Amino acid sequence: MSGRGKYRVNRQKHSQTTLSNVAKEAAISLPADSPVLAMFKDAALKLNDRQDRHERLVKLSRDITIESKRIIFLLHSAITEEAAEKAVKEAKERLEKLTKGPIKSIGLELENIPAYLHSRAVTAGLQEFIEARTFCSLMESKVIITWSEVQKEFQYVIKGDEDERVVVTLLTQTDYMLGIADLTGELMRKAINSISSGESQACFHACQVVRDLYTGYLGLFCMGKELARKMSTTRNNVAKVEAAVYALRVRGGEAPPLLLLPVKPEWETIEHSDDEGFY
Amino acid sequence: MSGNHVVNTIFSDFQKSLDEEQELREVIRNICKDVDQISRKITTVLQVIHHNQAEIGQACLQARELFEKASEGYGKLKEAVPSTDYYKYQDHWRFMTQRYCFLISLTIWLEKGILAPHDTVASVLGISAVEEKEGFHLDIEDYLVGLLHLCSELSRLAVNSVTRGDYEKPLQISKFVMELNAGFRLLNLKNDHLRKRFDALKYDVKKIEEVVYDLSIRGLLPKAQQSTEEA
Repeated sequence: MSGRGKYRVNRQKHSQTTLSNVAKEAAISLPADSPVLAMFKDAALKLNDRQDRHERLVKLSRDITIESKRIIFLLHSAITEEAAEKAVKEAKERLEKLTKGPIKSIGLELENIPAYLHSRAVTAGLQEFIEARTFCSLMESKVIITWSEVQKEFQYVIKGDEDERVVVTLLTQTDYMLGIADLTGELMRKAINSISSGESQACFHACQVVRDLYTGYLGLFCMGKELARKMSTTRNNVAKVEAAVYALRVRGGEAPPLLLLPVKPEWETIEHSDDEGFY
Repeated sequence: MSGNHVVNTIFSDFQKSLDEEQELREVIRNICKDVDQISRKITTVLQVIHHNQAEIGQACLQARELFEKASEGYGKLKEAVPSTDYYKYQDHWRFMTQRYCFLISLTIWLEKGILAPHDTVASVLGISAVEEKEGFHLDIEDYLVGLLHLCSELSRLAVNSVTRGDYEKPLQISKFVMELNAGFRLLNLKNDHLRKRFDALKYDVKKIEEVVYDLSIRGLLPKAQQSTEEA
């Protein structure tokens, strides 16, 4: 049986051939400087660049979020009108610092990069900033600053050695609207706080703004996933603020302002479940 | 009420931009549907490589013709998408583009046995390979995902060529895929789509190794290869 014999010989010769050997041989036979590997090295550089940039942006975005939350807290902390004025002034300064600091850095970081590539990295920070910015403008002049106005604030003139160039930090309209949706939560808190400080006028005003905003959101269609998700929170905010105003109207004459608050704990419990604020 | 008026403008402006975006998405969707259909057709055409060696050349020619058509579609897409908004609407053509990267790299491999570089694939589609602030281009990640699809298809081809009695092709495939595998290891992948797809590459590599192993222990490897291996 010559066939069998041949097979045996063959087998002996290849007794070293194992599955791992096949892999090893194939790996060793690769030239280190092949064009394929060069191509991958190039791709690795591109991907690393992208990832590093993304991380830097996430960090900037987080800085913006933290500072914006603090600014909102500051705006809430004012009870009397004079204190409010002072708080607004300080908040404005700090907001400007944000625009000239981290937000400008975002614009510079993305100067030569396609817009929207990293929009996910910065959306959280920008939303929070919008929340603070609109809240501040509302307290200052009772008017909400519009998207195009904020976008204008995000334009920077960079002076080079010879020439000037304009850098813009992109603020998507969706981010702006998401920030406004969060604003209803802050207004709700403000309304409730102003009951306790006895300023019913401020409370009614805040309530009306929340209602207007909610009405606006109801009228939108094709609003996108994230915004639709925020709608239920917004609806809760309207319900809470209206309940507070109701209590103020009904019992306002007969009880001291602080007594109107006991309903609050019940709201607080709901609040923590779906609203992102902790203050 | 002035406050109310501002709020109304905010929302009506936003609704307007939403409407425009919807319209644009509709246009993009329609173009993508047509282009995607061509890619399905090419996929079907190229299936012949698994059972008919003689028709591979013909299939490649046919695929090339269809790529021409696809590149016309990409031309339309390039016009429809605002030059700054590539990544805003990318999801519409992402998977389709990945499939094209796969099909083009497969065709080029069948024709010449080499890896199609990023810019070659992009030029077949008639788009730029360079990512710039503005403009329609071939995203490097999509290209890489396409290559991973290619590896899967080649592992299948390795098995089928043995069935057909072609013992040379698995070796060629093994070398090629090994090189790609080594290349992919150079990338720092984060936990995204590309990473998940890359994790599946090892199964393709394993399958090809097994085929080569089976051939080598049975002494079925082509002569030239055998002698170099023994040396």
